[in-house]
Amino acid sequence: MATTRRQFIKQTGSLALGAAGLGALGARTVFGAADGATPGKPTLVVLYLRGGSDPLSALIPYGDRTYYNIRPTIAVPKPVGENPRAQVIALDDYFGFHPSMAGLARLFKKGLMAPIVNAGSTHPTRSHFDAQDFMERAAPGVKSVTEGWLNRYLYMTKTGGDSDLRAVSFQPVLPRSLRGQYPALAVPEADAQSAAAAFAGLYGCDDAKATAKAQASGGSDKSADADETGRAGGRERIIDAGAQGIARLGRLNEVLKSDNYKPSAKYPDTVLGGQFRDIAKLIKARAGLEVAAIDYNGWDHHAMQGASYGVFNNMMGNVSRTIEAFVEDLGPVIDRTVVLTMSEFGRTARENGNSGSDHGHGGYMLAVGGPVNGGKFYGKWTGLSSRSLYEGRDLPVHTDFRDVFAEILAGLYGFQADDHQFFPEYDAKEKALGLIKT
Amino acid sequence: MIRRESAVAGRIHELLFISVVLWFACGSMAESSGEPLSPHQSARHVLDRLAFGPGPGDVDRVEAMGWEAWVRGQLDPKSVENDASDKYVLEHFPSLAMTMDQVWAAYNPPYESDPPTQAQIQKRNELRYKLSQELVGSVIYRAVYSERRFEEVMAEFWRNHFNVDQGKDEVQYLAAHYEQTVIRRHQFGKFSDMLLASARHPAMLIYLDNDVSQKPLTDREKRMLVRYEGRKYQPRSVAAIGRQRGLNENYARELMELHTLGVQNENRKGGYSQRDVTELARLLTGWTAGRPRGESTGYGFIYRESVHDEDSKRVLGMRFDGREGEAGGVRFIRALAEHEQTARFISLKFCRYLVNDDPPAGLVDEVARVFVETDGDLAEVYKAILFSDTFMARANYRAKFRTPFEFVVASLRATGAEVTGFGGTQEALRRMGQPVYRCVDPTGYSDTAEAWLDPGVLVYRWDFALRLARGQVPGARIPDAFWRGLPKEKPSALKRALAEALLAEGTGGEGWGNIEQALGKKPEPEHAAGLVLGSPMFQEQ
Repeated sequence: MATTRRQFIKQTGSLALGAAGLGALGARTVFGAADGATPGKPTLVVLYLRGGSDPLSALIPYGDRTYYNIRPTIAVPKPVGENPRAQVIALDDYFGFHPSMAGLARLFKKGLMAPIVNAGSTHPTRSHFDAQDFMERAAPGVKSVTEGWLNRYLYMTKTGGDSDLRAVSFQPVLPRSLRGQYPALAVPEADAQSAAAAFAGLYGCDDAKATAKAQASGGSDKSADADETGRAGGRERIIDAGAQGIARLGRLNEVLKSDNYKPSAKYPDTVLGGQFRDIAKLIKARAGLEVAAIDYNGWDHHAMQGASYGVFNNMMGNVSRTIEAFVEDLGPVIDRTVVLTMSEFGRTARENGNSGSDHGHGGYMLAVGGPVNGGKFYGKWTGLSSRSLYEGRDLPVHTDFRDVFAEILAGLYGFQADDHQFFPEYDAKEKALGLIKT
Repeated sequence: MIRRESAVAGRIHELLFISVVLWFACGSMAESSGEPLSPHQSARHVLDRLAFGPGPGDVDRVEAMGWEAWVRGQLDPKSVENDASDKYVLEHFPSLAMTMDQVWAAYNPPYESDPPTQAQIQKRNELRYKLSQELVGSVIYRAVYSERRFEEVMAEFWRNHFNVDQGKDEVQYLAAHYEQTVIRRHQFGKFSDMLLASARHPAMLIYLDNDVSQKPLTDREKRMLVRYEGRKYQPRSVAAIGRQRGLNENYARELMELHTLGVQNENRKGGYSQRDVTELARLLTGWTAGRPRGESTGYGFIYRESVHDEDSKRVLGMRFDGREGEAGGVRFIRALAEHEQTARFISLKFCRYLVNDDPPAGLVDEVARVFVETDGDLAEVYKAILFSDTFMARANYRAKFRTPFEFVVASLRATGAEVTGFGGTQEALRRMGQPVYRCVDPTGYSDTAEAWLDPGVLVYRWDFALRLARGQVPGARIPDAFWRGLPKEKPSALKRALAEALLAEGTGGEGWGNIEQALGKKPEPEHAAGLVLGSPMFQEQ
C-alpha cells in the first residue's frame, strides 16, 4: 500500500519521538559505549561518486558486440591479447571490470564484493542537483523532504547512550545524506582543530563558564527570554552547535591520538585514501562509529573520459586501491563493515561526439564487506539494444536504490524501513536482492 | 536554498514542528509589541544588513546623518562617490572590464608550438588561475571596501539567485563578464531585463546546459537508428542522428524552479508541470553560446535555427506555433518575469535575505504587490522592504545568522583590515563551504541559518577569527591603528574596548558577561580579538 505524505510525516514523527523519549530515560542498551568495551554495531561507509559515474566503464558487458559498436573510442578492449592492463578484467564470459578495478576484482573473487547493475533512481531527472538530492534523501521527486537518509536513520534510532562519534564524515562540510537533525560530525582539517579548544569557554563547554553563564542570565527562564525577544533562541542554537562541535572533536582526537597507530595496509596517497585510513582507525578503535559518508567529486565525464587509460581510469583506480587497502587494514573487522558506492545516475550508453558520455538514467552500485554476499552480479541486465534502453539512450533502472538502502539497513541493523515509513511514498523490497548475508 | 528552506518539513516530528511554528509566531508578534530600536541600534541594523557590517566609526556616522538618509543614498548607488574602489578594481582586476573575447585572448593565448612545451602549458594554467582569482578578488574587495554598500549586498543575493559556477567548463572565462553585465548592470533596474540577460549569457547557457540542448529525435529518426543498430556500415546521415543529443531540460527546469516561479509551484494548479518543463526546453532549443572558433566569431548569444524545435508548443498555457523562433523564447521569458508567482517568490527571497529567515507573510504580500505594480522595478522593491515597519522591528534586530561570506567580510570590515591579497580569504571561505563563484548547485548558497549552523563549519570560523587577529590570513592584515587604539595595560579596559569596537551592543549586549569571563584575567590583545570575532554574538546580524 502506498503511503501518503501525510501518513509519512505522522508515523515517522511519532516513532522518532518515541525513540528519543526512550533514549532520554536510558532505557535502551547502549551500543558502542564510549569505553569501547562492547563491539558495537556494524559500520556502514557510504561513498558518493558525484557527477554521474559511467556504469558501462565500470561493469563492462564485453560479451556484447553492441558495447563496442556504440562506444567506438571509449570501450575497453576485450580480455585477449598482450597487455592485460589495458583490457577488461573478465569475471564471466559476458561481464568484466574496468582494468583499474584489479583490487575490487580480487575482493569479488574472495566473495567480499558485489556489483549491482542497472541500479538507481526511477525518477526521470537528468539534473545532477535533483538526482543527488533525491538519492541522498532517499525521496525521489519529494522535495519537501530535506533531511539525508542516513541522518533520518540515525535520528529514528538514536538513544541516550549514542557515541559522540556515531556518525562522522572526514570532510569539512557534511554530505547531504548526513545532513539533518541528528548531530553528525564533519571533521575539519587538522590544522583548524586547535581553534576549537580556545572557544570552549565561549560556547559553554567549560563548567566554570557554564555556571557563570547561568548566573549572568540571572536564573531567568531561557525559553521565556526567547519568546520575548524572538532571537535568544537563535543565540542558543549557535552556542549548541559550537558545543557539539567541540565535544565531538575532543572525543575524536582522544580516540585518534591515543597510541602510535599504524594502519595495517598501504593506502593510496590521495584524499580518498586518507579518508578511508581515518575511518578504519576509528572503526578499529571501537569508538561507536556506525555511519561514515564521503563525497568523491568529478565523475561528470562529458568529454575525453578515456577507455583503459585516462580520467575514468585514474579515478576508479583510486577507488579500487583505496577500498582494497581498507579491507586489508580492517582485517577481521571487515565482517562488521560494509562499503556502499553510488552515483546520482548513469550515463548515455552511446558515447557522445566528444569521446565522453552524457547524463543518463540507470547506474550502478558496488557493495563491499564481510556481510555482503559477494562474488556475483546483482540486478537485472537487459542488454544494450535501443529497445531495451531507457528512452532509447540510457541504461534502464531495474533495481530501485531504495531497495538496496532498505536491505542494508535491515541486514546490518535490523532496521525495517517500511515498518518506520522510512521512504516517503514508497514501500521498499527489503529482500529483493539477497545482497546481505542473513 | 529551495531545498533546505523547509527545515521543518519532511522528517521532523509534529511536536517540534508545532513548537517551531509557535516560536516564529512569537517572533512575529514581538515585531508589533517590541520597543522601537534606538537611533544607534537602527544605524547598527542597517549597517549589519545592508553593508556586511560596520567598519570603524561607521555606526556613529550613520547615526549622525540618520539611517533613513543613508539608506536613501544607498538605494541610488550612482549617487554615492566610489572612485577609490572603482580605480582599485580596474587596476588589479583588469578582466572585469574586458569583453569575453578579450578575456579569452588574454588569458588563454594560443600555444606557440604543437605540441606545446611544458612551460607553455604551465603558463596557461597560471593565467587561468589568475583570471579566476581576479573575479574572486574583485567580489571580496568590493564587499569589504566599496562605498556602495547595499549594491554589494544585493550583488551577493543575485550571484546566488542566478548562480553560475566558475568550475564548469569554460565558465571561468565568462564569469567576470557575467558579473558585470548581468548582475551589476541590472540589479537596480528591471527584473525582466536581468532575467533575459542571464538567459542569453554564455556563462548561464553553458552552466545549465541549454547550450547543448537540441530538438529531440523524431520517431522516424529513432526508427532509422534502430534499423542500423549494430551494423558495421551506417550512412552518414544516420551517424549524424546518432550523435544528436536531444533535449536537455536542465535550464528550462531551473528557469522556472529557481529563477522565477519557485519550486512551490511545481505540479500546482496555476504552476508548472514536467510537461511545461519539457515544452519550455523545446521552446529554448537553439539558444546557445557562440565561441571564438568554429562557425561563430566570438563569445556571445547565438540563436541556432538548425537545432531549434519547430513543432508547436504550449507552456504554462501560452501557445507557440513553432515559426516564432527566437522571439517565442523571449516572449515567454518576459511573461515569466511578469508572472504573479514570480513576484511572490522573489519577494519572499528578498525578505528572507534582508529581514528574517522566516519573514512575516504580510510583509511578503506587500513587497510582492509593489513588485507587480512597478513591473519588477528592483530599486522600488528594495525600497518597499527597507522602509517597511517590519524591517526595523525589534524582532528582526540581530535575528539573522551570518553566512560564512557575511561573517568573513564583517570580520575584515570590523577590524578595518587591509586586504591586499585574496587567496587566503577565498581559501577560508572554501573551508567554510562557501567559496566565491564556486557553488556547484544552481540554487546558489543558502542565506538561512539552517544551512550553515553546523559544528564543523563553526570550527573554521573560529580558526579564521584567530588567524586574522594574529595576522596569519595571507593577504589580510589588521592595521596598527586598530591595535594602537586598544588600552593594553588594563585587562578590563582592553576587553571593553574590544567589545565596543567589534560587537553590536558593546558591553551592553546579552551574553557579554560570558565573553568577558572567557577572555580571562590577562587577555592578550590578538587572542582576545580573535575570540570576540569567533564569539556567538559576532555570528549574528
